[in-house]
Amino acid sequence: MTVPGNEAELLTRVVSGDRDAFDVVMRNHEGRVFSVCLRILGDREKALDATQETFLTVFRKAGQFQGRSAVGTWIYRIAVNTCYDQLRRAQRRPSASLPDHVDPSDPSAEEAIESAALRPEIEAALAGLPPDFRNAVVLSDLEGLSLPEAAEILGVPIGTVKSRVFRGRRLLAKQLGNQNDQ
Amino acid sequence: MHDHPLDLIAALADGSLSDEAEARALVESCPECREEYRTQTEVIDWLAAAPAVEMTDLEKAALHRDLWTELRTEPGKSTATPWWQRLAFVAAGLFVTVGLVSVLNNDALDDSAESGATTVAEALDAPVEEAPFVAQGSDDGESAPEMATTTAAATETTAAEGGAESFALLFAELAEEARASQADRSATQGTDRDVEACLSRVGLDEHVVVDEIDRDQIYLLVMPEDPEAEPIVTFVVLPRCEIVYVG
Repeated sequence: MTVPGNEAELLTRVVSGDRDAFDVVMRNHEGRVFSVCLRILGDREKALDATQETFLTVFRKAGQFQGRSAVGTWIYRIAVNTCYDQLRRAQRRPSASLPDHVDPSDPSAEEAIESAALRPEIEAALAGLPPDFRNAVVLSDLEGLSLPEAAEILGVPIGTVKSRVFRGRRLLAKQLGNQNDQ
Repeated sequence: MHDHPLDLIAALADGSLSDEAEARALVESCPECREEYRTQTEVIDWLAAAPAVEMTDLEKAALHRDLWTELRTEPGKSTATPWWQRLAFVAAGLFVTVGLVSVLNNDALDDSAESGATTVAEALDAPVEEAPFVAQGSDDGESAPEMATTTAAATETTAAEGGAESFALLFAELAEEARASQADRSATQGTDRDVEACLSRVGLDEHVVVDEIDRDQIYLLVMPEDPEAEPIVTFVVLPRCEIVYVG
């Protein structure tokens, strides 16, 4: 299954219908894409849907990748945009429901779900942020991406990301009742 | 608050400043800045305490299954499918067939054994205990006996009666084996095992090898080449070229 070549090269092969190349690209990034989607959407099933949609887009639009950013950055940008679309469509608060395909007998399921959990009040506060702020906070403070990377993914200037992260944190603190001036 | 360089304070809080001297002096001299710094740091710490998100095995299987279902109908693309898509498709099919409800049923193995249901081994006209997975096992890793047990269990049950648990275990084992063997696969492919002749001999023409597990023998996971065909999975053991499992 080893497919040689860097990721941009792999995308070129995806364009020609090489599914093994696509498999490698997907396996390299599916974990983080799912993580980003889960943090933004707050629901594992929706995150899985968004992850699937993201990689469908990657497969279909591989030919549009121009190599101006890392492949990962390009993919995460698609993921964030996909989440935006889902949020626009859904327009409802994220929930912590157990998706149908999570098998309670799967020993890895409980651990994985548990590991994804923020403290409930933080989860709720994060879900209550405006999407622009939430996405910036998720990429920067939860996913640990640099500001330039987050800016590239979100398609905005670095200064805008800085501002959104900063204001997002303040809103989080405010919603959590931890600001002295509340 | 807008009179203060808040971006500088935020950058100090998240550690992205190359030179922190100015920001630290500001925080020390300005109470509002200090409070803002505390707030920012607190939120960063809360968020940083969250462990990394991981997908479960079934979530991965569901993702791959759904992607495969979509991609196989993509116009103008190759229909060749990598092994994981087929494996995920098989697993998904098995789960759908038997129903997740029965996964929770604890009486899977015993009840089905007592029910007198026709087993795969019987269908193949070979006693279960003679199946290589059961009889030989393996001594090259902890997972080998588990797989032997799992496969034996799978052959002792039917999909209709409690087979879900076995299939779930089988899939988990297969997925683990497939991942573990990824690195080896490229090295072993193309060696002269006369796989085609073997598949033909056991009536598996127009089938493809979607995975192979290299134990003391080579176990091939074989499926129909036609993605529209029923996704029946067959294990063939080499070099004896015998079918040891169908399901």
